[in-house]
Amino acid sequence: MVNENLVKDVVKEPYKYGFVTDIETEKIEKGLNEDIIKLISQKKEEPKFLLDFRLKAFKKWQKMKEPDWAALGYKKIDYQDIIYYSAPKQKEKLSSLDEVDPKLLETFDKLGIPLTEQKKLTNVAVDAVFDSVSIATTFREELAEHGVIFCSISEAVKNHADLIEKYLGTVVPTSDNYFAALNSAVFSDGSFVYIPKGVTCPMDLSSYFRINSGDSGQFERTLIIAEESSSVSYLEGCTAPMFDTNTLHAAVVELIALDDASIKYSTVQNWYAGDEEGIGGIFNFVTKRGKCLGKRSKISWSQVETGSAITWKYPSCLLLGEESVGEFYSVALTNNLQQADTGTKMIHIGPKTKSTIVSKGISAGNSKNSYRGLVKMGTKATGSRNYSQCDSMLIGDQASANTFPYIKSQQPNSEIEHEASTCRISEDQLFYLQSRGIEFEEAVSMMVSGFCRDVFNQLPMEFAAEADKLLALKLEGSVG
Amino acid sequence: MEIIEKIKTNKSDNNLTEIQKICLHKLQSSPLPNPKNELWRLSNKSKLSNFLDYSVNEKDSKFDIPYPKNSQSTIRLIIGENCQIKLIEKNYSIQQLSKDELQKYIKEQISFFKQNENWSDLLNLALSCKNNILGLKINGSKIPPIEIFSHASSNSLNAKTLVIFLEKNCDVELVQVNLGKENSSLSQSTFFCLKENSSVNHGVVSYGENRSNILNSLNVIQQKNSAYNLGSLHFKFNYARFEISIKQSAGNAKTNIKGMQITKKDEQISTYTKIEFNGPNGFLDQINKSLADDKSHAIFEGSIIVPKIAQRTDASQLSRNLLLSNLAQIDTKPQLEIIADDVKCKHGATISQLNEEELFYMRTRGITLTEANKLQLSSYFQEIISFIPISKDKWDLLDKLLNEN
Repeated sequence: MVNENLVKDVVKEPYKYGFVTDIETEKIEKGLNEDIIKLISQKKEEPKFLLDFRLKAFKKWQKMKEPDWAALGYKKIDYQDIIYYSAPKQKEKLSSLDEVDPKLLETFDKLGIPLTEQKKLTNVAVDAVFDSVSIATTFREELAEHGVIFCSISEAVKNHADLIEKYLGTVVPTSDNYFAALNSAVFSDGSFVYIPKGVTCPMDLSSYFRINSGDSGQFERTLIIAEESSSVSYLEGCTAPMFDTNTLHAAVVELIALDDASIKYSTVQNWYAGDEEGIGGIFNFVTKRGKCLGKRSKISWSQVETGSAITWKYPSCLLLGEESVGEFYSVALTNNLQQADTGTKMIHIGPKTKSTIVSKGISAGNSKNSYRGLVKMGTKATGSRNYSQCDSMLIGDQASANTFPYIKSQQPNSEIEHEASTCRISEDQLFYLQSRGIEFEEAVSMMVSGFCRDVFNQLPMEFAAEADKLLALKLEGSVG
Repeated sequence: MEIIEKIKTNKSDNNLTEIQKICLHKLQSSPLPNPKNELWRLSNKSKLSNFLDYSVNEKDSKFDIPYPKNSQSTIRLIIGENCQIKLIEKNYSIQQLSKDELQKYIKEQISFFKQNENWSDLLNLALSCKNNILGLKINGSKIPPIEIFSHASSNSLNAKTLVIFLEKNCDVELVQVNLGKENSSLSQSTFFCLKENSSVNHGVVSYGENRSNILNSLNVIQQKNSAYNLGSLHFKFNYARFEISIKQSAGNAKTNIKGMQITKKDEQISTYTKIEFNGPNGFLDQINKSLADDKSHAIFEGSIIVPKIAQRTDASQLSRNLLLSNLAQIDTKPQLEIIADDVKCKHGATISQLNEEELFYMRTRGITLTEANKLQLSSYFQEIISFIPISKDKWDLLDKLLNEN
């Protein structure tokens, strides 16, 4: 048996992004009603179509019921006890990054996010979102030279209203689900990306989401459009301070890929997960969906989910275009009292579509980690293929790992393969590594990282290294 | 739906047994399963109501047994017919369970029942009259094969219940044949209790005729060191549901399941299995095959539950499906729910059609397309059929299936 005492001695690493930035913020009153929505829309100086969009979504949301089918348990959320708009007070219009409150820049510096443009070496353009608003987007001029639009969604509403009107809500309709409807009604900010025809985005784009205030929810909305033969790699990171209350995060991400376009969307989610007793932490209810509209288009989701008290997230692909490809690579780690119900949906509609699912779940402590996925072959999906692999690793005998794959086929000329396995850290391997002088903790983290390798290989380089470290940190003290 | 109305009004009838009363009472508040429940979500509503359309028939007509009794030693019982049995031989004994034993066991089972999960059992026990419940206690070894038949007559709904206690160290082969006549509904519930060190090779073959329906439920409790092997086959039903629930009450038991369902025309056949390990060192090897043709719909949902106590469980589940037509549909959902960490659990699922390369190979050797298809299907069927404990010279199931196809 793995030596339990040894494990208990291991020092636990605290959540290092748990600080709060002391900054003056503008908040609206708690609660949700039509007036609040109108107020948000007014603050953001939105055109009428968007206000109508919000109000329509709100009406639908009021008639909907919070889903209860996921293998999650949490106390009821009081939607009237949340602040739906919170923004750091700053000058009306920012002409350059120098005008951004230094405290905000400092915050992002502390988080390791380079906002100052001198740090060009990193070659990643960043859109930083703080509570409800985007505070800065870097490398905009360089991107504009290539015709790439990368800005906050509020700016896009003002400057590219036609694109927003055309695409917003086309992948995730307002009535899609309870949390998507809520987001559509109150979304505050997020990123907008438009890659014109034939352009390969010259650098990775990235959004960094930071929740700072404890009583406001974050409802961001991301929309990425890749025109014909274009390609983009987009990264997303998130952190939040430690509060002993739960904060709601309900985001919607929509991706659209036209003919021969490809979008790679990577996430490292490290929201505050609550303490060991399960107090506090973010409720992460996210709807992410990509539409492969064009022929030979490709959407690839890769995610490393380590944070949040509760994760409810199913990044999906609608494979409409002929020969379009959907991919989903995921590592979900839960520790202490975290709960995650995550997976993907691959809906094969067009002919010769292909999808791959690789999901690795690691459950430690008293946590609960479920994979829930749907693979569906429609009647027209001739010659389509799916391959899914879901592996779970259990650390300790208090954690649970569940697998719920839903597989549905209406097309005989297609193939679906699914396999799932459960294992634990092998004592033989552990013994082998330890006998070679490798510390116990390091041996465990080597094995975990080996377990996740298939997914890490799909992450952009900067992220892969970070993800590896993150897992090691999160697991410290949990093996036994 | 006359039956549902009857349940709702719950007229107390003096002829009802205590168990019938308990089940009717349990069903009264919501007589039908919740269509939104995961276990009933895919179930065809109009087919289910068609199942309930017939009136309950407690006595049934004579029927033809599909194969002759060719060995004197075989024990053949027909549920619903007067089957008094008391066999006490040198090596073994087969006796009927006493009324008290039966009642006590069924009552205990009912106390665990949940509305949606055990709706089929609740309905069965609410409708099954005294004569249609057969309880057996089997003891000893070198027991001759047992055959138990259950059938539904045309234009009626028949409810039959079978309860079997396998005593310690007992070893038996048991085949259950469920037959549906034209336009009939059969509700068959089976309760199996395997005591320590006992083992059974259980075969369940269910087939119907035109527009027959079946709700077939099987509840098995396995004590330590018992072995339960199940081979099952369901075909030719307008609507069929096969629900298997197996509990290894203290672990250390072995379960092997090989099941198959074949759907054609607009039929819907589904299999739901739930295997719970309530102790360490449990073993499960399960394979479920479906074949869907024409406009039919085949469903498989299997869950494996491994709580903390069930360390060193070794469980595997495989769902293999053949989809042969553009209008047919297959749904499959193998599930794992695991808490214990020292376990080996895996599942797999595939949906495809007949292998084209194999077909091509055979055709280049001069085998006709029909013949080649037959060969492929027979190899697909064979794995399951060979697991059903019924000898080929007695009843050639493979031949029957291939001719039906």
